[in-house]
Amino acid sequence: MLKRNTLLTSLLAGLAAALAPALACACAVCLTGDGDPTANAFNWSVLFLMATPYAVVGSIAGWLVYSYRRAAAKRDQDHATESALHLALSEKESGR
Amino acid sequence: MAQTLTAKRLDETLVELEPKRPGFGGGEPPPGLPQTPIGNNVWLAVLVFLGAEAMFFAGLMGAYIVFRVGAAVWPPPFQPRLPVGVTGVNTIFLLASAVTIRVALRSARRGDGTQLVRWLGLTALLGAIFLAVQGYEWIELIQFGLTVSSSVYGALFYTLIGFHALHVFGALIWLMVVFALARRGHYAKNRYVGVQTCSMYWTFVVALWPALYGLVYLY
Repeated sequence: MLKRNTLLTSLLAGLAAALAPALACACAVCLTGDGDPTANAFNWSVLFLMATPYAVVGSIAGWLVYSYRRAAAKRDQDHATESALHLALSEKESGR
Repeated sequence: MAQTLTAKRLDETLVELEPKRPGFGGGEPPPGLPQTPIGNNVWLAVLVFLGAEAMFFAGLMGAYIVFRVGAAVWPPPFQPRLPVGVTGVNTIFLLASAVTIRVALRSARRGDGTQLVRWLGLTALLGAIFLAVQGYEWIELIQFGLTVSSSVYGALFYTLIGFHALHVFGALIWLMVVFALARRGHYAKNRYVGVQTCSMYWTFVVALWPALYGLVYLY
């Protein structure tokens, strides 16, 4: 309950910042450079460089999670096959 | 007597502070937990290395974005125009090489040595064609006056595209080593991590190219 409230509060705060430009542009460098092509260029570059680590780390982490789940699924499948095979080959269980 | 009774009581009334969890203190590990590592250490190392390479190129692209977006006119006046069409066709060769190396990796997983050698060779050929065409285009551009020192435009172009070409060249060297080992029958169904890691690196440099082509040649 507390975790959901914290998440909701964070989301609302972020939304308020996005909808209130004066609040969002509190950075003096970004605000004073509004309209200047060089400042605009730096802004885009900074946004790109900020997003890249998230993309890179997220991709690596995502690939590791995917590999882990695939290995776990394969292990479960192999274990199930092995158990079934053991039953089939067991003389007592197969009724031979 | 009292001491024995106490000792016996202690033995009998053992209180478990925590319930025993499977996998902790014995027994089977929890379901879904793989017994073997999910990947080779070399595979993980290459994956992290590719992350570092991605950040390196992100820095170069960030620098390009600053100059490109900040410029009123781009390309700057009196600069030769880049060969968009020829490089576009060259891009197809490089993208095709990503397909061929994936097929080679699948052959390695199957243990098919003949197919592995064939597809690795084809990948190397496509990569070499890409580099050769790039080199030829650069010679043309230098003759037209676009050099590293001619302008910021030239410096950015050769830095960004040059580093990518260097990475492709390095990947090609690696691929040739893997090709030579594959010809000698070094790889098997359960031993193909060299092919896998080479494929990862090659796919990375190929996947990087459309982003660079779009940013430098088209934007």
